[in-house]
Parts: sequence; structure tokens; C-alpha cells
Amino acid sequence: MIDMSSNLTDAVSLDVANLAAEDTALEIKNLDLFYGDKQALFDVSMKIPKKQVTAFIGPSGCGKSTLLRCINRMNDLVDICHIKGDINLRGKNIYDRDVDVATLRRNVGMVFQRPNPFPKSIYENVVYGLRLQGINDKRRLDEAAESSLRGAAIWDEVKDRLHDNAFGLSGGQQQRLVIARAIAIEPEILLLDEPTSALDPISTLVIEELITELKKKFTVVIVTHNMQQAARVSDHTAFMYMGKLVEYADTNTLFTTPAKKQTEDYITGKYG
Amino acid sequence: MKNWFRSGSPWIWMTGGAVSISLIAVLGLLMLIAWRGLTYFWPSAIHEFNVQLEDGSNRTVIGEIYDREVVPIQRLLEAGVKIDPTLDTVERILVKTGNREYVDLDFSWLLGPAIKQQSTPAAVAVIERFTNGNFYGYPVAVEEDGVKKTLTSAEQLEVLVKRAVALNDKAQDLQKGDISSVNYELERIRLKLRSYELKDQLTSEIETKYSKIAEGLRAEYQIYEAQLFSYRDQANRDAVIVKDMRGEEVRIPLSNVLEVTYPNDMGIVSKIIHWFGNMGSFVTSDPREANTEGGVFPAIFGTIFMVMLMAVIVTPLGVVAAIYLHEYAPKNGLTKMIRIAVINLAGVPSIVYGVFGLGFFVYMLGGSIDELFYPESSPSPVFGSPGVLWSALTLAILTLPVVIVSTEEGLSRIPTSLRQGSLALGATKFETLWRIIVPMASPAIMTGLILAVARAAGEVAPLMLVGVVKLAPTLPVDMNFPYIHVERKFMHLGFHIYDVGFQSPNVEAARPLVYATSFLLVTVIIGLNLTAIGVRNHLREKFKNLEL
Repeated sequence: MIDMSSNLTDAVSLDVANLAAEDTALEIKNLDLFYGDKQALFDVSMKIPKKQVTAFIGPSGCGKSTLLRCINRMNDLVDICHIKGDINLRGKNIYDRDVDVATLRRNVGMVFQRPNPFPKSIYENVVYGLRLQGINDKRRLDEAAESSLRGAAIWDEVKDRLHDNAFGLSGGQQQRLVIARAIAIEPEILLLDEPTSALDPISTLVIEELITELKKKFTVVIVTHNMQQAARVSDHTAFMYMGKLVEYADTNTLFTTPAKKQTEDYITGKYG
Repeated sequence: MKNWFRSGSPWIWMTGGAVSISLIAVLGLLMLIAWRGLTYFWPSAIHEFNVQLEDGSNRTVIGEIYDREVVPIQRLLEAGVKIDPTLDTVERILVKTGNREYVDLDFSWLLGPAIKQQSTPAAVAVIERFTNGNFYGYPVAVEEDGVKKTLTSAEQLEVLVKRAVALNDKAQDLQKGDISSVNYELERIRLKLRSYELKDQLTSEIETKYSKIAEGLRAEYQIYEAQLFSYRDQANRDAVIVKDMRGEEVRIPLSNVLEVTYPNDMGIVSKIIHWFGNMGSFVTSDPREANTEGGVFPAIFGTIFMVMLMAVIVTPLGVVAAIYLHEYAPKNGLTKMIRIAVINLAGVPSIVYGVFGLGFFVYMLGGSIDELFYPESSPSPVFGSPGVLWSALTLAILTLPVVIVSTEEGLSRIPTSLRQGSLALGATKFETLWRIIVPMASPAIMTGLILAVARAAGEVAPLMLVGVVKLAPTLPVDMNFPYIHVERKFMHLGFHIYDVGFQSPNVEAARPLVYATSFLLVTVIIGLNLTAIGVRNHLREKFKNLEL
């Protein structure tokens, strides 16, 4: 079994099944997703708690990344993808016709598997989202850049070379820069799609520590294929298998006393 | 042997050989035109030949050796030349004798056996003239202010020549500057009055107002004209008396003289100085004598101006079209067809574009513009006749496929992760394109532009229909408002080569000019390309490490 002593969280356990409205950041209701004729998600319903870390785990191809990408409508980029069901953010279904996708994505930030800094300076990377909103005031940008770089625990490493190209940073630094870029526009929810899978163990550790810091300000949803990581950083864990949400509970419960046989098999390493 | 084959060596030799052959071909071509073109400017020696004519009499020939060849005796005998038939071959020399108005041909072939004596006398001068080409002979005297003086030194003549050249330059500056400005203004006033007349708004008030301005301009013109004539008269004051190869003394007014040199008397250093000076004046001065003499500045200017105008038109158009095709167009059969059609456009012969440009741009578009905006200048067309704008537009269409294809290639090379990164930050598709994708595709766009420029700068055939002329009186850019005149006709190096080489009355005289102009055209294209490649390398440096 997994050593739970490494769990850095000490959150009050919330019952995710019966989450009060004021504690809910996001509610997914009966979500089905199709790639053409092939169904990838089956009737997924869950509530994501506010300012907590929620992890999606499951074997490859189980739909955990797909589900994550539904939350900021990244799946819209796939032509053949279509969706049934609701995802409510602040009581509003994000798939409603009158929702502006750009505004939604401003509220739901995302960090990808591989670091993807823009071919610009470190500073310009961080303030990119702000410039998009038409903010060009030098002082405001400077402040935002510093606070988000501090928030992403990279300020001390880059403060002397803010105007160097972001490609000069190491992979781990790039990933933290991308996180800084995402939090610079102060989203409500931060989606992390396997953020450490392309990084070395030390960078991974730094990012994991950063995640527990981030939840003080943001609701964090993380997809990971690494169960230890889910156990270490998350407050709640959802186990998915074959496009279905199998089990969703607070992390301690899920890893120590899983309710479903499938979950137990997966976390004890019987498959996956 | 079998092992040698299996080791792959023959393959390496074959591929390496192919590269060498291509390299030799390119370098050989460049060196040939560079050599033939650049030696044209070298102040070569002037020879004096004593030739025995067929009737036994002697004749003196002074000139530059242009070419030598060995001809079989049979050919000469058949041509009716009286020559010793026991010889197998005879060397003959092509001599440029100049003095065009006094001899039948300013080039003549001299047969080796007929040359009795050959020397390079130091006192022989080359007199470069505005009209009628070079004059070769011995300067014997000068006429200074009507007084004839025997020439004692070269400096004495040089001082007078310099004075005349300076006056000529002044006269030319005046003609091209102030006088042409006044003429331009007068023409504008005439057009303004005419447009009032067409609109039935011509009141006597307006008429007096403008006629007053015109009066002032005419008075100004009178002053300039008087000044121009005085410059010319002053330049015409002196003359040089030259003894030519017939032994006769010829009077050449110094107003017709550009430069007097004594190539046989020059050391290597002064020859090199002259060589560079000649090259300099070739690229900076206007052509003379139906383009067979003088420089090619208007052609260089026209080529570069037209190519840049084309680049300014084709880049945004091609990039925008490529963005639509790659980013917005639905990925279906129709898009595919459009893409194939675009690629195939690159294979259409360029003269077809010329015909299209003449029909569509010049007659339809230009004609309509004239009707709508320039009714006052009718019947003479403004935009309704070939011009540099239409040439640039025609070549822009010609090079559009190249730009579209390379831009699309560049767009498709940008990793999806970057697009998603931008979109995830709340950027719209347009913002992502504008801020991330297009800047990152800029090296590819530059590649397209480089190919487009290389193709456009070398294109001549379509231009002959849509704007190039043998001799343009004015450049497309001058000091008269609105300073850039895209409706004007222009000169082009490529067409200049064709014109000088094939349309010139004196093919022999023109041949070195063809090489020199070709070399210049290649240099201009390489220069334009190197600029674009420099920009591209800079951009590439900026966006390297893209393999995430």
C-alpha cells in the first residue's frame, strides 16, 4: 500500500458526494463525450471543492485528461468532439451558447504535460494573459509578473534575467514559468494536465510543493498517472476507468479503504 | 571490387560528383559574367596599327583591341579577301576605332599579315563624349575662349575639361531639378483647371487665381531657362583639337566631353583608380546613346523599387491567404482543390501573367481609375497605361503561390502545444495567431519572400507588357509631390540586358555592356536575397529551440 505519511495535506475532510454549494467550485453533471461515434466519457457527475486539490487518476486512456479538458473547453479544438451534459461554474453551464470561451478560459487556467513557454522573454510570457486583456500599464505588469513568479516559486531564479528568452530555462523552470503565466491572470480554477510527467524527480518535487501552495488561492484540479503523486498532493481523488468515474472520495479514504474493487485493484498495482 | 560497391563508396562519389558539377556550373557562370563584365571598365591600352591595304597603300588605325580570333584561310578566300593562299590560318583582331562620325564603322577587323607595325604611343588619348561614343587620337591644341593654344601638358586640357564638366553637371541638375519641378507644377495647374471645367465650377475667380500662379511659374521658368542656356554656352566656350587616325585635326567642343584619359601613359595604380571610377559611374549615371553608353542607374533603381513594391504587396496578401487556408478554411475537398490550384499557379508561364496584367490591371483597373479619378487628364492616361504599380502587382500575383506555400508550411510546423497554451490563457484564435503563430512563422514567411524576390527580380517577359520601357525620362521617385509616382513607367536591368544586347544598333559595342549589366543584375538579386536571408536568420535565432 501507499505510504500516506507523505501526504502533505491536512485539510478538513469534506464529503465530496454531498458538497455544499458554497464549497463547490465546479459541478459536472451527467457528462457524456463523444469523439465521432466513439464515446469517451460516460455519464460523469462530480463536484469539485473550492480551494482544494482534486486529482484524477486512472490508467492511460481512461478519459481523465479528456474530462479535464472539458472544464476549460479545450476539447472544442477537436472538430469531431461533442458533448452532452452540464458543467456548472458559478451556477452557469459553461457549454451554454452565450458563454464566451475566452472569458471562460481566463477563469479556468491550464498547464499542460510538457512545458510550452512562448518564444518570448520570461517577462513577456508571464504578462501574456494580461496583455491579452488590454493591460499595458508597465507598473501593473511589473507587479503582476513579480507576484506570479513568486507564486510559482521561480522568482529568485529568474529575477535577474526577466528579459532573456524563456527557452533558456530548464524543463522544470519552464513548467513553473508556465504555471506563473497561468496564475498571472488570477483564474478561479487551475487545471494541471500531468504537469510533471516530462520532468526530472527534483523538478517534480518542487512542482508538487508548489501545488500545495497554490491551493491557498486557487482550486486545483490535477491529472496524474502517478498514484504516489496524487496521494502526496491531493485532498480528493477521483479514479476513472474506461471513461467512467469509478470512485471519488477524499484521498485518504480512496487510498486506504477504497469502496470499489476496481479502485483497489488499480492502486495495489494489479493493472494499469 | 564487389566490396567497394557494397561499401557505398560509388554512391558517395556519385552524389559528391553531382554536387561538384552543379557548383562548377554556378561558379563558372558567375565568374564568366563577372570577368567579361568587369574587364569592360578596365582602361585598356590603345594601339596604333600601321596596316597595308589590299591596293598596297598604308593606313593608320588607332583603337582598343576588343577580340582576337583565328580564322581558316579558306573562309577569307571565299569572302573575296586577297591574301596569301599558302597560309593555313590567319589571326585577325577586332579593333574598336571609335570616331563614329568620321569612319564607316567604329569596329574593324584587321588581318594579322596586313599589320606592318603596332605600337602603344603614350600620347594617345581616349576622349569620352556625350554623343557619338569615344574618340581616339592625339590632342594637339585647345581653343580657350576662342583663342587657339598649342597643348603643352595634359593638365592644361584637364583643367578646361573639368570646368566644362562642372558646368554640364550644373545644367543637368538645373534641368532635372528646378526646371522639371516648374514643369510639373504647371501641368498640375492645367489639370486642376481642366477638372474645374469638367465639373462646371470654373469661375473667372479661380481662373485668375491659377493663371496668376502659372504666370509666376512661367517667369521662374524663364529665369531657369536663361540660366540653363548660359551654363551651356559657357561649357561650349572651349574646344579641343585632336589629330585622329586619318591624320586630320578634328575640333571637339568641350561641352561634349566627359573625360579625357591617356591609358597608355597610366601606371597600374591609376588604372585601378580609373577602373573603380568607371564602375562607379556605370552604376550611378544615366544611360546615353540609346543605352549603349553611360550608366544604368535608372535601371538599378527601377528594378529594386519594383521588387520592393512587389514584396510589400505580395507578403501581406500571401500571408493572409495562407492563414485562411491553413487556420480557418474547413478541411474538405474544396480547400484541397484551392490549395492544388494555388500550387499550380506557380507553373503558369510568366508571359501569361503579363498578358493578364495588361488586360486586367492596366486596361480594366487602370482605365476605371482614370475614368473615376482623373477625368481631367483624358485623353492621356494616368493609371490606364503600363506602369511600375501594375508591374509590381503582376509580379505579386506571379509570386503569390510561393509565399502561400511556404507560409502554410511554416504555420503547420508550429507545435499545437503553443496554440493551446495561448488559448488556455483566454486568447481568441485571432489573438493567438497575431501574437504567437504568425511571429513564429515569420522565418518561413521570409523564406517565401526570398523565393518570391529571386523570381521577381529576374523576370522580364511579363514586365515588357505592363510597365518596363527602354528609356524612362523620370524615376518613379522624385522631389515633386506626391514623391512616389507608381503610375510611371520604369527601367529594369533585365530588360536593359535584352534591349542593349538585341535591340542596339551596334552589337559589338553593346556586348561588354550586356555582360556588365548581367553581372549587375545578379549582384542586385544576390544583394536583395542576402538582405532577406539576414532578416530570416535573425528571426530564426529568435525562435530556435522550438522542438519542445
